[in-house]
Amino acid sequence: MSRTSLRAPTRAGTGDQRMVAEILPPEGVPIRFEVAGLGARTVAQIADILITFAALVVVMAVLFLSDLISVEAVIGIGALLFFAIRVPYYVLTETLMNGQTWGKRLTGLRVISADGRSLSAHAVTVRNLLKEMEIFVPGTMLLAASSLDRLTVILLLVWIVILLAVPLANGHRQRLGDILAGTYVVMLPTPVLLPDLAEQPVADSAYRFLPHHLDHYGRYELQTLEALLQVDARSLGRISADRHQTNLRKVAETISRRIGYRTHIAEGDAETFLLAFYRTQRAYLENRKLFGDAREDKFHRDTDGTPDSSAGNGAGEGTDRRG
Amino acid sequence: MSVAQNLIRSARFRAEREADWRRLEAIVTKAERRGLKSLAFDEAQAMATLYRQAMASLSMAREISLDRALLAYLEALCARAYLAVYAPQERLGGMLGRLLVVGIPGAARRLFPLILISYAIMILGGVAGWMLFQNDPGWYDALMPQGLASGRGVDSSREDLLAVIYSGQDAQSGKLAAFTSLLFSHNTRIAILIFSLGVLACVPGTVLTFLNGLMLGVFVALHADRGLLYDISAWLTIHGVTEISAIVVACAGGLHLGQAVLFPGEVRRRDALRRNARDAVKLAILSAMMLVVAAGLEGFGRQLIQEPGVRIRIGVTIGLAWIAWLALSGRRRT
Repeated sequence: MSRTSLRAPTRAGTGDQRMVAEILPPEGVPIRFEVAGLGARTVAQIADILITFAALVVVMAVLFLSDLISVEAVIGIGALLFFAIRVPYYVLTETLMNGQTWGKRLTGLRVISADGRSLSAHAVTVRNLLKEMEIFVPGTMLLAASSLDRLTVILLLVWIVILLAVPLANGHRQRLGDILAGTYVVMLPTPVLLPDLAEQPVADSAYRFLPHHLDHYGRYELQTLEALLQVDARSLGRISADRHQTNLRKVAETISRRIGYRTHIAEGDAETFLLAFYRTQRAYLENRKLFGDAREDKFHRDTDGTPDSSAGNGAGEGTDRRG
Repeated sequence: MSVAQNLIRSARFRAEREADWRRLEAIVTKAERRGLKSLAFDEAQAMATLYRQAMASLSMAREISLDRALLAYLEALCARAYLAVYAPQERLGGMLGRLLVVGIPGAARRLFPLILISYAIMILGGVAGWMLFQNDPGWYDALMPQGLASGRGVDSSREDLLAVIYSGQDAQSGKLAAFTSLLFSHNTRIAILIFSLGVLACVPGTVLTFLNGLMLGVFVALHADRGLLYDISAWLTIHGVTEISAIVVACAGGLHLGQAVLFPGEVRRRDALRRNARDAVKLAILSAMMLVVAAGLEGFGRQLIQEPGVRIRIGVTIGLAWIAWLALSGRRRT
């Protein structure tokens, strides 16, 4: 049997390779956040630079048009503002908007405290003061690189490489400022509650499963099947809807062959079969889990490897009926 | 609750609690959009209760449920609710006030020895610069960057130097504004570099401070050579007391960070850095404030006030004001 028999083509396999930051709130239940990638953070940073720059331009334009002071003084004030606007902007927005600058809000990022408490003003200040040395000083020097001598350019490049290596080397993509402040930058999760497949009415008269049918798969296969079944066929285009039907058909056939299910599955009835199987299989696995026999996948990766074929403990046919 | 009887356990678990989760989601969304203050009393109360219930549900669901839709939803919901419940609640005014009254002066007093050491480094640099100039005036060109000297070189006559020292605002205020901002940004960058380079085991920050002292030394020596010691002292004092102290304070903050790297004690270096950063960052803020004040003094005060005696008096008074603030503010009464 092929190892990928149950891997749905649409959404399977996601969420396993991502980097995860786990924090422990005072409630004692660990919460997991997906760590933000360097790409998203760069985009947020660029957005922030554009925003602060736009604000600067507006202020200078107002001063210039108001005609109160000379042009040179406007330029002088602009240069002063250019430095004054940077760190204060990041510190104030991240403090007042709970860990988000406007750029981070745009890209759905958030700064969180690694210790599970609220984000302190101190942490925000530290990470943004160091941003000055990590991003702005090398950045402005890089812009002026043509006027620097060779030694300075080499030193600058070494500096930038080291600064880039720090977030790439650690598991939470923390830059130096994050490490000192004890913060992570994470993706803000969106809570989407998909319907409960086990709640939908299943014509359970057509397909019934016996314990020996249910001993073949584990959590991973069950949840992959769920991902396939959660696809909303009505939202798909005609071609992908056809492909989805073919996939359902293939998966149904693979499952029935593997579990040794004899009853013929009618043409176009693959989804009903899979729903019935999903529901029964989930009830069975959850029941086993409750008794301390959690099964990670069909290879028994997490259990001690005892064969399940002798599991005739009566939790069989009627599992979907238990009150 | 009208929960169907023929559901499996985890589906029943979900059906019983789903309404509460939805309510929490609505409240959290509102709090995120319009801030915690927009919540009514009963909403705020409900948020705390519902949050704890959702956390309990998450903990339970991880144990009993294999429903991926449910687990993903609860993970995301609890994460959002956690961020909303544990949002920083402090007001900006209170935070700033505490920083100014207790935080910064306390840090400056705790790190007083380091500040003294930094002053010593700077003064050492100044003395060395002076002596180098006495030895060979060529050192001036070697040590002074062209941009900062603004045309004042070894060849400048006494009159040239005097003209720069006592250039009134009517003379060239436009150029001066630009020069001010240049000097300001230069010193800001130096302060930032000195502070952040302290992490690298104190060495680069110390060297930079020493170099800054050298520059100061040759600069003063050049003017003293032309018999302008009193005038240049006045010219420097009005803003220099604040500005040089700002660099020194930044150096002290950097040294404190470097201390954590060199002598972490019984914790890991990373934790030692985090511990020392608390005070070091306050010194960095203090340094930034001083630089802003110095830039103001330099840009306006020095152009408006041409009398050397007044310049010295203003500079010293402001220096004493800094000392008074840092030494006296926020002391606990025992």
